[in-house]
Amino acid sequence: MRYAHCLVVIVGVMLAAGAPGAQSADTYKARLGIAPTDANNQPFITGSGAITAVLRGARLSVTGTFEGLQTAATTARVHLGPKGIRGAAILDLTVTKATAGTLQGELTLTAAQVDHLKRTRLYVQVNSEKAADGNLWGWLLRAD
Amino acid sequence: MTTPRFWLTAAALTASFGIVAAAQPPLQAPVQAGVQAPAPIYTAAQAGAGRALYATSCAGCHRPDLGGTNEAAQLAGGNFIAAWGERPAADLIAYILSAMPPANPGAQGPAGVTDIVAFILQANGAAPGTQPLTPQTTTLIRAVSMRQAPPALAAAAPQAAPLAQGAGARAGGAAAIDGAPGGAPVPVGPRGVTIRGEVANYVPVTDEMLRNPDPGDWLMVRRNYQGWSYSPLTQINRDNVRNLRLAWVWAMNEGGASQPMPIAHNGILYLVHTGNIVQALNGRTGDVIWEYRAGPDQGGPMRNLAIYQDKVFVTTSDARIVALNARTGERAWEARVADTAKGYSAATGPIVIKGKLLQGLNGCDRFKETGCFISAFDAGSGKPLWTFNTVARPEEPGGDTWGRQPMMFRAGGETWITGSYDPDLNLTYWGTAQAKPWVPASRGMSALDKALYTSSSLALNPDTGKLAWHFQHAPGEALDLDEVFERVLVDADGQKLVFTIGKPGILWKLDRQTGAFLGHKETLFQNVFDTIDPKTGSVTYRADIIEAKVGDWVTACPSTQGGHNWQAMSYHPGASLLIIPLSQSCMEIRGRQVEMKEGSGGTQGDRRFFEMPGTNGMIGKLAAFDVRTMREVWSYEQRPSFLTSVLSTGGDIAFVGDLDRNFRAFDVRTGTILWQTRLGTSVQGYPISFSAGGKQYIAVTAGLGGGSPRNVPRLIAPDIRHPTSGNALYVFELPE
Repeated sequence: MRYAHCLVVIVGVMLAAGAPGAQSADTYKARLGIAPTDANNQPFITGSGAITAVLRGARLSVTGTFEGLQTAATTARVHLGPKGIRGAAILDLTVTKATAGTLQGELTLTAAQVDHLKRTRLYVQVNSEKAADGNLWGWLLRAD
Repeated sequence: MTTPRFWLTAAALTASFGIVAAAQPPLQAPVQAGVQAPAPIYTAAQAGAGRALYATSCAGCHRPDLGGTNEAAQLAGGNFIAAWGERPAADLIAYILSAMPPANPGAQGPAGVTDIVAFILQANGAAPGTQPLTPQTTTLIRAVSMRQAPPALAAAAPQAAPLAQGAGARAGGAAAIDGAPGGAPVPVGPRGVTIRGEVANYVPVTDEMLRNPDPGDWLMVRRNYQGWSYSPLTQINRDNVRNLRLAWVWAMNEGGASQPMPIAHNGILYLVHTGNIVQALNGRTGDVIWEYRAGPDQGGPMRNLAIYQDKVFVTTSDARIVALNARTGERAWEARVADTAKGYSAATGPIVIKGKLLQGLNGCDRFKETGCFISAFDAGSGKPLWTFNTVARPEEPGGDTWGRQPMMFRAGGETWITGSYDPDLNLTYWGTAQAKPWVPASRGMSALDKALYTSSSLALNPDTGKLAWHFQHAPGEALDLDEVFERVLVDADGQKLVFTIGKPGILWKLDRQTGAFLGHKETLFQNVFDTIDPKTGSVTYRADIIEAKVGDWVTACPSTQGGHNWQAMSYHPGASLLIIPLSQSCMEIRGRQVEMKEGSGGTQGDRRFFEMPGTNGMIGKLAAFDVRTMREVWSYEQRPSFLTSVLSTGGDIAFVGDLDRNFRAFDVRTGTILWQTRLGTSVQGYPISFSAGGKQYIAVTAGLGGGSPRNVPRLIAPDIRHPTSGNALYVFELPE
């Protein structure tokens, strides 16, 4: 009986930790909405998109789509900034150089960057030819 | 071929020689020995045409004297030149074409906008010539403008309607701008009673009726003194609301910002339109009984009327109160609240308390000695009774909270939402707007300067105007996040409470006897305050907001759209819930350098907007909060923002309308949508419920125009479209 209890506990711990050799994955999502805009730049800042980012250990796999830009996307980056507040770019993503397309990246985060991700301090920003300081952006939020 | 650099040099030389003199009409290019005058870039004919267009399309917000107010920037003088002087005229034309008027950008077309810019240049001292202005003109605005707007500018302002104007008079024809250079006459519409009729069997409204209104009446702003926006009528309820149908619709005046709340008495509706038009309508049929035009024809929104004894009271956009005979619409008396020439205006009507009209004030953002105030008038005669200064003067209590600024530079503190009243405590509760200009550095102050009594809840004795207590929600407000909105009075668990919520989206609970802080609830994401003391309610701004200098961009969630804005919450007593319309957007804001002189001031901020992170682009949020626990009981989120107040009823329904033309009924207790329809354009205003002939009706306006609640969604949710006309009153009923 005692042996059976121990076995249940061990199996439970293994399940909680994931299968042997695998790491647990946390999924984050972001809606890409328009970056800060006013009446002057609104004609150039249009579009929307969606991002999914999966964190396994320190490895972050980012995939996403976007559409509706007025000019071709030029760069896409992960930035560090508290929710709603601009911050510096820290990681590069690859992006389709067009008004619609995909973006992706396989990134290795530092421990501090993982912590920032978990604290909703990372966002993805897509720049375009006529919106070099941000066309679309969205904060990575844990998908529960 | 001259270059912009040449003109910059010329302008600098002009300034350095101290020759920026006030021009005398007719305007001449400023010519001095040794300095070549810049070549004119527009014609007098263009400026004349632009003047007329400006008067009809722009002056309502930017004011006839181009002095601006609130979100409508100054278009003449040093602050305008500071903002636009280094940019070519073509940029200003392009900007106006893409963004103005906000309700219908580009409506004037390239030629019309070019004419308007010619008028603006003229108003800033640029002289006309033979070269016409075009959308390609690259000359810098500073190069052709004098830094100081000429005195002749004042002549561009159409005169305010005279106080003693007789009923039925026509003031049509040329207005005051006739003498201005290049001017074209601006037509002035009819004034006085323009549709004659009489309300049959009118019953005078007594103090007792105001304290305990008939269930079928809606006699004041938000219906009762407690500000509940709640009708006890039960005919339309959760079980039958799905059968609601249109009874009648009444088209309303177009132009300006339409955000009205009708009042209802004995089956008669009294309705205020843009252009300061008041009508009495038969509540069952929508037939008009009488109409009065108080003028001016342009102006900001007017949100509510008042009724007392045999009079209906309308406050005009140029800050007059006009008392009308409720039976016939004939003018009984007229009183001025404040001097419109100093920029004062009004956007809400009075509340009647024991025979007194208590009136708020807008347009306190310009620098002037007279500050900002709440006024009281005798309802019978219009005699002024008292004022309370919402901007503390140096010698008054709180006068030491404005840094070193003299009275001249203490701006803001508007009361642009009408207050509430507790008859038992004999206290009236008002909110105040923030200090102006928006960013402390722009106003020569610090976010640590509290600037009393801005951004506060005030409790006043309505008999005397004496302050009983105040609670400042956002000392040194720094982001154009008003705390001015409705004060809702609720009794719960033996406590006398007052609730309010401002643009930061923080629902505040205060003891309305003492002003003591009792609790708060963050109804949506905010990042402007690092801390809110749970015991005192004292807030601490984020460090970069406190440290922001002129020109520094800072981020704020929510944006100036609110959080919460003028669209009032409703208290449903049966469910003990506050049902609150909210908006989820954020912004970056920076303050401009402001000329410190009389008549300057304004709001002076640049803003860029974006969706609130984590909302999936859902800008509109409707949520219900328990008054005891402040817990969110239910919420409903959608892409379009809500543009009406919430009306809740004894039938356990909450009605609300939105930007996307939806008008819906929600189950008060669960948030389930029970009924919906779509109107002709965006649904905007204050829905009410009333009865006529024993039958319950729901009335709501479709409307256009306004500030951030309209402008922000236009920028960040351009996918939501609606017609750019369609102001109307819709009335719904159940089938027989």
